[in-house]
Amino acid sequence: MSKTYYVPQSNEIELFEAAAGMNLPVLIKGPTGCGKTRFIEAMGEKLERDVYTVVCHDDLSAADLVGRHLIDENGTFWQDGPLTKAVRNGGICYLDEIIEARKDTTVVLHSLADYRRVLPIDRTGEVIKAHPDFMLVVSYNPGYQNVLKGMKPSTKQRFVSLSFGYPSPDIEKAVIMKESGVSDKIAQKLVNIAGEIRQLSESDIQEAVSTRLLVYAGKLMVKGFDPYQACVHSIVESLSDEDDVLEVLHQLILLHFK
Amino acid sequence: MDEKVGKYWDKFVTKKASRLYEKKQILFEDYAKFLKIFYHLLGGDKAKELHITDKRFLLTTRTMFEKFSGKGKSFFLSWQDEKALYFPASLAFFDEKKLNAMHYYWLCAMLALVDITNRNIAEENTKATNFLIQKYPGFFDFYNKAQASLMIDYPELLSSDVSYPHPLWIYPSASKPKQFRDYGEEEMGRMNGKNDKTEELKMKKRAERNDNEKESDGLLLFLPESMMSFMEQINVDRQENDSFDENALYNAEDLDEITLGKKDANLASRIKIDLDISANSAEDYPLGKGHFRDEWDHKKESYLKNYVCIKPQISINVQPIILPKRLEKMMRQIQNELDLMELDRIKIDSLSYGDEINLDSWIDYKGNKNRSNHPQRFFESYKKKTRDMATLLLADISLSTESGITQEIRVIDMIKDTLMVFAESLQRLEDRFGIYAFSSIRNKKVHFHIIKNFKEKYNDIVRGRIDVIKPGYYTRLGAAIRESAKILDKQQSANKLLLILSDGKPNDLDRYDGKYGIEDTKKAIEEVKQKGIVPYCITIDVEAREYLPHLFGKSSFSVIRDAKKLPKVLTEIYMNLTK
Repeated sequence: MSKTYYVPQSNEIELFEAAAGMNLPVLIKGPTGCGKTRFIEAMGEKLERDVYTVVCHDDLSAADLVGRHLIDENGTFWQDGPLTKAVRNGGICYLDEIIEARKDTTVVLHSLADYRRVLPIDRTGEVIKAHPDFMLVVSYNPGYQNVLKGMKPSTKQRFVSLSFGYPSPDIEKAVIMKESGVSDKIAQKLVNIAGEIRQLSESDIQEAVSTRLLVYAGKLMVKGFDPYQACVHSIVESLSDEDDVLEVLHQLILLHFK
Repeated sequence: MDEKVGKYWDKFVTKKASRLYEKKQILFEDYAKFLKIFYHLLGGDKAKELHITDKRFLLTTRTMFEKFSGKGKSFFLSWQDEKALYFPASLAFFDEKKLNAMHYYWLCAMLALVDITNRNIAEENTKATNFLIQKYPGFFDFYNKAQASLMIDYPELLSSDVSYPHPLWIYPSASKPKQFRDYGEEEMGRMNGKNDKTEELKMKKRAERNDNEKESDGLLLFLPESMMSFMEQINVDRQENDSFDENALYNAEDLDEITLGKKDANLASRIKIDLDISANSAEDYPLGKGHFRDEWDHKKESYLKNYVCIKPQISINVQPIILPKRLEKMMRQIQNELDLMELDRIKIDSLSYGDEINLDSWIDYKGNKNRSNHPQRFFESYKKKTRDMATLLLADISLSTESGITQEIRVIDMIKDTLMVFAESLQRLEDRFGIYAFSSIRNKKVHFHIIKNFKEKYNDIVRGRIDVIKPGYYTRLGAAIRESAKILDKQQSANKLLLILSDGKPNDLDRYDGKYGIEDTKKAIEEVKQKGIVPYCITIDVEAREYLPHLFGKSSFSVIRDAKKLPKVLTEIYMNLTK
């Protein structure tokens, strides 16, 4: 029985289990706040494997993943990085927002992500064979457009890909109720608001409201904030800085929560 | 004098008859941009535009004052057709500004819901109303207040007869007994005249065409007495700039219909001679006789070898200018964003000398058993990121850019501003860039204007060249893209970006239209990608979503809703693309 609450959107759990069984790496695409990280955590519990999460950024070096020498009173010693730990001990190594990492950093994954399943460590000269329970999972948000960033096709083509969207209204309602503890009626309203905001195109707002923000709104309401205030601070102001969009979103919230 | 008294009387009676709260009036133009987003929120069709409606005549019962003043027989109704939504120009049914503003949102929501094909107005509106008040408590409140207030002010609504127009309802589009013409876009292009003492007519008039081309002059066909009232037909001369006439505007407001006749001005006033032939005026100077590029014929599935003639040219005798005042404020905002980007510095380690000691490399050295082999480079420094980028901005300056965004601003003006702001920003970022513009006449002449090449420094002369850009002819996009790719290909940069600024589909006088043009452009883009250049298109064509994904792929283009934002948005897009 897993502790982490996760409601599947379609067949992602079966796919993930199959990939884990066959030692295939997994790539997860999806907009922000749609449940990617939560899914990995839930799967880690389900498969009884540790999850080593690395949030990628553009200063992330290969040493941050693989490991480095450190000093203590006896001199230097080697410290495994999260990737190496997962490779040695088994577990899920989850690289969040992999697109943010520099392209040359992700190349260290190549030998792990195909049939070889080995991790060579240049600094110590060691070549580690991956534990049978080691699994590599990466995720990114395809919504961001950037010329200089993007996954190399050679990296991309080593993964089984799962594409996530925002959950369907019923599932999303259930998630909001469970996570924040709001009533059925309010959760339904939040889902309605989300459905409307997601109809806007990218020329109006950059990215639509995430399930995570809806849960925040619900939590604020449970804490005693009035629904309008809760929505304005969790949903409206987080989505846009443009006056005209803000004005209309305020109006929308007012219409729903008078 | 008589006329003045008449006007006052008219104003008085009209006011008396009016049941509107004019002090609490809300104008459509203030709310248009909100309503558009709101309409999208409720799932409305994104291609539809929002317009002001014209008056409709309906036979209804009128109060005595309304009969006196002529009010009450025509109404501004909200309706829609396949192209657009139509709202009243102003709303003042309620004694509270908030309610009047809400009235617009209400109409917008109704428009998003009602089915325009259903001719049973009452049923359709009741259905939509019930849906709205059930789903949105905010609308429920509004509806109750509005309904209560309307019942007091408009007792006609109480009768079971539905002929009196309900302000909260949506009506079907007018049947068309006469041939109406939509002057919408066409008019925009012609209205870019002077901005002196004009006062806008904030209504839309029913447009009706009247053929008076063969009008004979000299004979009075009407009784002179009727001269006392103004005629329902004013000769509005569209072929030259109208002089400001206060009376015409006043009359126009009261006229229910404006009839535009096509009457040629006499020959003398039509001849316009440009006497400004000073030696210093800017002109386009051709560079060489031109060279040839291939074009893709999708039917034959092969290239037409050397089919298109590219004619590079440059403007000479341009006046160097400094950055126009109107752009300074925008440049300051952009500068703030640029500053943030420049904070972005990169670390260079493994240096023999540097600003700081890099502990990692020192520990590596300590941990390495064979120290004699180890390069003793323990320092690191921070350096400003030199971005290895070459960007070519290609602007479409076809004739369509002559059209107006507002009365004073044409698309081409916005393109010029965009080029200046863009160049200014890249100059400050120290990125390498070139700017080119193009327009074409068949395959024989593709004018390829060099505004700034990669080697040239950005300076006052380049600004001058941007300033003298004029709308050209047609859009042979494929040829221009191939030429740009050639230029970019020669640049020694790791990252190459081709930004295309467009205002519509590729087209030319010959078969370069529709599928042929699209397919050639698609082929040209593929060639660009093969060269390792990233293409990206920014367009102000709202219908671009239909063909741009096919040309550029799902995430390699942006459609800018508001052309006035173009200068700022283009620079922001560039920064986002290259961050």
